[in-house]
Amino acid sequence: MKRREILIWSICSILSVGAAVGIHLSAATVNATYPTRNIQGVIMWGAGGATDTMSRAITPYVEPLLNQEVILTNRSGGAGAISTKYVHHRKPDGYTLLYGAENPQLHGVLGLSDVDYREFYAVNVLARGISVIVAHPDTPWRSLKELMEDVKNRPGEIKMGSTGPGGLPYVIGAMLGTQGEFDIIPVPFDGDGPAITALLGGHVDFLPSGYTATSEHIRAGRLRALAVVNDQEIELLPGIPPLTQDYPAFKKFLPWGPFYGVFIDKDAPDSVKTKLTEAFHQGASDPAFEKFVTDFGAIQMNVSGEEANVFLKKWQSVTTWLLHDAGATKTSPEAFGIERP
Amino acid sequence: MSQALEYFSIGWMDPQLFFLTAIGTFAGIYIGAIPGLSVTMAVSILISFTFSWDVNEALALMAGVFMGGVYGGSRTAILLNIPGAPSALVTALDGYPLALKGDAGRAIGLSTVMSFIGGLVGILILMIAAPIISNFTLAFAPRDYFLLAALGLFLVGSLSAESLSKGMFCGALGVLLGMVGLDPLTAEERFTFDTLELTSGIPYIAAMIGFFGFAEILVQLHHLDVKPVRQNLDKILPSLSLVKKYLPLSLRTSSIGVIVGALPGTGGDIASLLAYDHAKRSVKSPTAKFGEGAEEGLIAAETANNAAVGGAYIPMLTLGMPGDAVTAVIIGALFIHGIQPGPLMLTETPHLFWFTVGNLTLANLFVLIFGLTGISIFSRIVQCPKGILLPLIFVLCVVGTYAIQNSLIDVYWMLGCGFLGYFLKRYGFQVAPIILGIILGPLMDVSFRRAALSVQNDISQLLWEFVSNPVSLVLTSAIFVLLITSVIKSRQQKAAERAD
Repeated sequence: MKRREILIWSICSILSVGAAVGIHLSAATVNATYPTRNIQGVIMWGAGGATDTMSRAITPYVEPLLNQEVILTNRSGGAGAISTKYVHHRKPDGYTLLYGAENPQLHGVLGLSDVDYREFYAVNVLARGISVIVAHPDTPWRSLKELMEDVKNRPGEIKMGSTGPGGLPYVIGAMLGTQGEFDIIPVPFDGDGPAITALLGGHVDFLPSGYTATSEHIRAGRLRALAVVNDQEIELLPGIPPLTQDYPAFKKFLPWGPFYGVFIDKDAPDSVKTKLTEAFHQGASDPAFEKFVTDFGAIQMNVSGEEANVFLKKWQSVTTWLLHDAGATKTSPEAFGIERP
Repeated sequence: MSQALEYFSIGWMDPQLFFLTAIGTFAGIYIGAIPGLSVTMAVSILISFTFSWDVNEALALMAGVFMGGVYGGSRTAILLNIPGAPSALVTALDGYPLALKGDAGRAIGLSTVMSFIGGLVGILILMIAAPIISNFTLAFAPRDYFLLAALGLFLVGSLSAESLSKGMFCGALGVLLGMVGLDPLTAEERFTFDTLELTSGIPYIAAMIGFFGFAEILVQLHHLDVKPVRQNLDKILPSLSLVKKYLPLSLRTSSIGVIVGALPGTGGDIASLLAYDHAKRSVKSPTAKFGEGAEEGLIAAETANNAAVGGAYIPMLTLGMPGDAVTAVIIGALFIHGIQPGPLMLTETPHLFWFTVGNLTLANLFVLIFGLTGISIFSRIVQCPKGILLPLIFVLCVVGTYAIQNSLIDVYWMLGCGFLGYFLKRYGFQVAPIILGIILGPLMDVSFRRAALSVQNDISQLLWEFVSNPVSLVLTSAIFVLLITSVIKSRQQKAAERAD
């Protein structure tokens, strides 16, 4: 055998042994206790938003339980469709987590994307936000009923702050619209913050908004809370009547609000699902995190799997049909097999 | 008062906080200098990092990163013509020509001292007038944001060098590029051609790196044989008399910076653009023509964007509302540390206000110290042979663009904008108005439509509001004054040309 041939043979054998070992190792990583390396966490919205804050708050509680670091990156865009598709297209091995909000549940009917949470396994739906309807203190309304009657008397004159179609104020506006004539001027802003700033300055008259962003302004008397979007009074806002007090018909839509959760591709192995579910359940049960959720003005859910699916399904059905009836959808929810509530 | 002083000095007396602010500022300068790595990103990573710390420690570090980061953007703008952040865009317009003339050291020295002064003015106004300014910013209605953006559009004239028509073409191109994506009001798709990637629009930082950085590399390829100018490193520190001479201008531009920074819809980028325009109109005899290395241009940009930091803290500390993207992240951090940001924060967490003021002052001092060290080494970068420098800048452009949101699409945008920018530059078009259009276009678009929606699309009502509201009236008259003076000035110029 020539020298050259020996060399080639030895290289080939080393490579094949290496490959075999590599395959074996990679097979072993699936079988060995997950996770064996860093996990990537993709946050659906940009830095500083509610989803971002919630994601960065839960992760440090979970990392020690998984014995691995979760590296968080913000990948916003397309109202959450970009990150949702990205995680869905990754290998379903549990090494890419989606830290998401409610948005994908509406992507179908809004024509943004056909991937929603039905393609995912809900590791944990951490919390749902509470919404309130607030008004500028210079307005005469003391209750939701007074506001609704004023809208009836002065159609097309009262300005509602909004965050665009599909946003929280828009959906609550659509909910209010189910009670007969509701002709208001929705003025869309870039998000909760800018909308509240406009309300503080008196550039709009009322605003359905997340409790978190408005609570301190309500406490300081700079904004007046008219109603809580819930079916009962909540501890954090004593004395503020629930939406159902004057309008019991709203009960069928509730509980409704933005939510925050952690998701993986539904094709991930069961062992991975179990491991993640346990870790996030335990992390979210930490009293310090529970306190954070309360301070953040949200209601802790800490549910996963089937239990979370029931919630996600109801949320999607209520919201998509509300939007559809208000004429804000591109495709009927029916086309996606979403049942009417 | 003694209480205030006590809170103010917490960060100065505690060695650990002192050290954290220093580290934060140092890191901020270099993060800010790398295009694509933004201060917002750095601060949000710090949230998980400082999770288990005491809230004061976390805030000290964040204040340092914020202050340092805004200043850091000027480094690469001056040395490489790549603004490290959008707020350093106008720094490049006069800073880079200075570097090409061999005055990089002096430009960095001047920008450091002026950033310090701007930062100081911002902090002073935050200290004295925070409640007044925050109430004033609340009075800004959507129509006022529209007028402010329209005022900014006059900059096209300032940025377009010889040919106004070419400048207007580029400004319009920028507005068009800024339109791509989901309509922010109705979520309707615009120019997306049914591709998901286009729904989030063209990231303007990627466009900026392309039009400035990559396009400049391509242009430089024509001049490979030109030996770089030897950098003059004798007088790096501006003399006291020079600082004194520029003090009135820097105070004016800093004030613009604070107000625009405090407005929740605008930040350091628009602040520095407006300040630059103001400098160009008010300075009769600059050291060089604006755009060719005028020190006044550099000063306007650097004072304004650093003053905007203090401005951004004003609504955050008084109302719990973010003044820009970075303070939005800091508000999130306050939540995690158990402080409720809001109008009651000042009374319920009394130390927070003066502690923050103290921290910012300290961080601003560190900007001066760190900024003035190592200038001679950095200046030599411009002296580096082009065969080595250009590929390095190219790598920096690609990595920086990818880092914005870990997306390869952005890198393609950067490359595409770079090629386009190269051809535009070859044919005498300026690229700065494009970025101006990308920044101001969406602001004008949404503000105008918001304003129109608020009056039910009744145009006569809208026009009436332009003059009936005090804030709007001031802005409307400013636009008219600018319009009239520009027309008179161009007539005089034409008359003078004829007389020659």
